[in-house]
Amino acid sequence: MLIKLERTGGFAGLRTAVTLDTDTLPAEEARKLHEMVDSAGFFNLPAKFPLPARGADYFVYRLTVEKDGRKHTVDVSDPAVPATLRPLLQSLVVYARK
Amino acid sequence: MYKNNLVKVSPSEGVRIARRTQINRATVQGIIPPHMLKELAQRGDQKQRERAFQALTLSERIRERREVLGPLATAVATPAGEKRRTVYDVKNECCDPHSPCLPGSLVREEGDPSKGDPSVDEAYDGAGATYDLYREIFERNSIDDRGMRIDSTVHFCQDYNNAFFNGTQMVYGDGDVDIFEPFTRAIDVIGHELTHGVTQYEANLLYAFQSGALNESMSDVFGSLVKQRKLNQTADEADWLIGEGLFTSKVNGKALRSMKEPGTAYDDPKLGRDPQPAHMRDVKRLPFWEDNGGVHINSGIPNRAFCITAMEIGGFAWERAGRIWYIALRDRLRRFSNFQDAANKTFLVAGELFGAGSEEQKAVRKGWTDAGINITVRAMEAIPAR
Repeated sequence: MLIKLERTGGFAGLRTAVTLDTDTLPAEEARKLHEMVDSAGFFNLPAKFPLPARGADYFVYRLTVEKDGRKHTVDVSDPAVPATLRPLLQSLVVYARK
Repeated sequence: MYKNNLVKVSPSEGVRIARRTQINRATVQGIIPPHMLKELAQRGDQKQRERAFQALTLSERIRERREVLGPLATAVATPAGEKRRTVYDVKNECCDPHSPCLPGSLVREEGDPSKGDPSVDEAYDGAGATYDLYREIFERNSIDDRGMRIDSTVHFCQDYNNAFFNGTQMVYGDGDVDIFEPFTRAIDVIGHELTHGVTQYEANLLYAFQSGALNESMSDVFGSLVKQRKLNQTADEADWLIGEGLFTSKVNGKALRSMKEPGTAYDDPKLGRDPQPAHMRDVKRLPFWEDNGGVHINSGIPNRAFCITAMEIGGFAWERAGRIWYIALRDRLRRFSNFQDAANKTFLVAGELFGAGSEEQKAVRKGWTDAGINITVRAMEAIPAR
């Protein structure tokens, strides 16, 4: 499974990006990522979420996953991130910081 | 003519107009003719100039909208006239609309003494300095100009490298210790976030592409003015940095953005280089999914236009350059305004406040021209008479 996260925006406007290939990760880490992608129902999420009607300086995410011959990209901004997707995003941001 | 105008004004606009009038009713001075006010604004002593500015901008607004005021003004409640701040602590809980945690537990209210938690106290003091700038310099009563309570939440989430305005309140993260200090550390960040509220109630610039970059720039402009006023710095003395003090010592950078020299704020092996353009020729054409079309990137261009304008005018930036920008934000810019609109409107506002061909108006032209945007309206052009 390939996962790519690009986080932009926020007050700082910094770009935080990471690309992971679960085949190259320790088995336990790979298992957790697979689990998070599945429990987010990632391939059933809409490609785009509605814009927040108000507010500013939210983080903006573009997340792409390739798995079993399928590829899907989701564009979403805080605070519209679905609760089921948040653990995956948080975990990917930690990878990006490494 | 008047009837047409009445028809065009939406109810919300009407209320907005009405409440403004009420706030300012006590200060309405309709006796001095505009040309004399303009004269006073240019040549009077400090106090006379301030009064004349106020009366002039007010008369602009009234002249445009007088016809709709009568029936509506009385229908609006009297606004509260004081500073009201509250600070909440969310104790590092992360949340979103699915699991609401905001605003958190109340820890400090208006008039309470310092709490000893730097984040709480910085949020409180920063909100105060921002309120004071808007109130004392621009005669604005809080975010909504109706005395809205200013709510801030600190200690949001864990290792959270951000601060944001959610449409109702400010929210500050603690930073991750590695790259960022807590976001309340820089007073201009607080002014920036609160100004997002002001913008929401005024021009309501769409948070995407150029209008979004303009929205961001307004927040940087007034955030920087809060800091400059707090430090009592003239335009020459100011550092024109945004978020100075937020980076930890591990980062090679002085701040997040530089209004004076966009693109030079940081250059770090881990974070890369400050991507802000300083000139229109370098504007970044980004897709919407990248930072809403580069709103935190392209803001460098209008930021620099403001900085140059203020430096050209000299003295305290909030006095003249700040007033021009504030009035443009409040009365002239709208949801889809772009950089060109901002250039033209600030130029016209400068002409109205200080006179066509005034030093101030020339400074505005220089600011935008140096940033790559030519003014496309004539100096003498004023708001069309009705």
